[in-house]
Amino acid sequence: MSDETIDQLQPQRASRIGVWAVMKAILKHKVSCVGVVIIILLSLMAIFAPLIAPHDPNEQDLYHVLENPSRKHLLGTDDVGRDLLSRVIYGSRISLLVGVAATIFAAVIGVILGLIAGYKGGMVDMVIMRITDTFMCIPGLILLLVMAAALGPGLHNIIIAISLIGWTGFARIIRGQVLMVRELPYIEAANAAGASGFRIMFRHLLPNSLAPIIVAGSITIGGVIMLESAAAFLGLGVQPPTPSWGKALRIGYSYLEVVPLFSIAPGLMITLAILAFNFLGDGLRDALDPRLRGQGKKIE
Amino acid sequence: MKRYIASRLLYSILILFFVSILIFTLARLMPGDPIQAAAMINTDLANPEIMNDLRAKFGLDKPYHEQYFLWLTDFAKGEWGDSLGSGEEVLAMFLRRLPVTLELFIGATFWSFIIGFPFGIIAALRRNSWLDASLTTTSIIGVSIPVFWEGIVFIYLFAVILPIFPPSGYVPFSESPWENLLSVAMPTFVMGTQTAGLLARYVRSSLLEVLGQDFIRTARAKGLREKAMLIRHAARPALLPVVTVIGLSWGYMVAGSFLVEYMFAIPGLGRMGVNAVFARDFPVIQATLVIVALNVMLANLTVDLVYGYLDPRVRIH
Repeated sequence: MSDETIDQLQPQRASRIGVWAVMKAILKHKVSCVGVVIIILLSLMAIFAPLIAPHDPNEQDLYHVLENPSRKHLLGTDDVGRDLLSRVIYGSRISLLVGVAATIFAAVIGVILGLIAGYKGGMVDMVIMRITDTFMCIPGLILLLVMAAALGPGLHNIIIAISLIGWTGFARIIRGQVLMVRELPYIEAANAAGASGFRIMFRHLLPNSLAPIIVAGSITIGGVIMLESAAAFLGLGVQPPTPSWGKALRIGYSYLEVVPLFSIAPGLMITLAILAFNFLGDGLRDALDPRLRGQGKKIE
Repeated sequence: MKRYIASRLLYSILILFFVSILIFTLARLMPGDPIQAAAMINTDLANPEIMNDLRAKFGLDKPYHEQYFLWLTDFAKGEWGDSLGSGEEVLAMFLRRLPVTLELFIGATFWSFIIGFPFGIIAALRRNSWLDASLTTTSIIGVSIPVFWEGIVFIYLFAVILPIFPPSGYVPFSESPWENLLSVAMPTFVMGTQTAGLLARYVRSSLLEVLGQDFIRTARAKGLREKAMLIRHAARPALLPVVTVIGLSWGYMVAGSFLVEYMFAIPGLGRMGVNAVFARDFPVIQATLVIVALNVMLANLTVDLVYGYLDPRVRIH
């Protein structure tokens, strides 16, 4: 067998696209650079919150409630006199944690189901995809409201509920990818060599679908942050006194005329976070998957 | 075409069946017993005997599969039950609130069209210029900005600082057409922003793809003017993917209406849904979920049919 045929048996895989090449492509893409910078800043803020925050986020001062910005409280205080800036800084922890954790769980569920559907085909595929369609019939926020009400409040339950909602997009993407490469010679070769279905799915089919998963993952993190804060705004979410952007927005909204920053500042942070992940997703798409350029995906 | 329509309809009915199981399961997963919940609201019912009678009356003492079919057949007959909170018939509540939410949907679609289409077309025609870059970036911002934050900023700017619009509330059109338009202007704009952004991006990419094709070069080569070329040759094929976005957005706008109606205190279906979830008002929750799912499915079905009509290639698959 000549070297040439071996090359043909192993078409270039997504996983072979080096980390450096991707980073270079992102650096060239101005908008996604902005996204990366914002994400790095937000992550630093979440990690070093205790060092950056000027006050204890849970320290109440009932003599100074609902104050507008001053030298002592740069963003003012909330309805029980807590320092808003500190709460906004700590709030990044919840949003990023929920965004990343729920996206990872959702991706795992979606990838496994999508791989099985695409690889097995037939009845199995039919059933899995109809379940996916079924979940997609109810918009995420509404499904989340009902699921969160069923599971009860709390950080864990919010992450579980969002994971159980967000997997559908991943399942569809992976299935589509698998269908495209399933008939390629290298899969046939793996089959002929006696590889198990499990091995083919995870060793051969999965690496080939990594690029779209990464792109979808980045955009999904933004979508999850939006879902979490929307749910918190409606009154579901982490328990007080944990600082959360969505919760602050909900309470601050009632005092909009008195202390506008109470709701506008955390909202701006939510928007920045979502925007950053969408920007990054755009850059990654251009870097990893030029065919999809210019399209947007949304989960709501 | 007939076969295509039949297959799409069959598929929709199958999915509707699955969705009904999902909704029924979700409602049953909610903690608490609906009768107990009703008794908490209406203390006259707080008597074990009455509660057991009620359970028997609503079939809650039967096994789950029997309950499911009972619910399904009643729902199909239009017997959606009564709200546990107000005692009002759920179907009547729905019909009363439907026009309000429908107005929001139409308004949001209007805004998204008058922003999304020009943005997308101009960006495509001025490809890679600073104008394209700023319009495209604005579109991503439009897609990313959360409905509730945009709403708050708008209320602050245009109701608190510059009191042009009412900060919240809803005036029916029959009462005062002008005040009605004022009261829905901000909510519909906020609801339509995300769709506007998506639309702009899809119109741009789809138009760019069409403009790069041979038949457009031919049209240009034979001396057709830019405008005529756009309208006669580029518009139809470029619209195809856009149809999908419009349909999807219509289906998913419900989520926006939940948030917008909640924050602007608009008495529509979204507010009914949010209130029902917090009050554990099971009949209303179930009905809301069915309506929401039906809306998404009808939007998808319409997209499929329009697509099949516009693009004959689709019908084969």
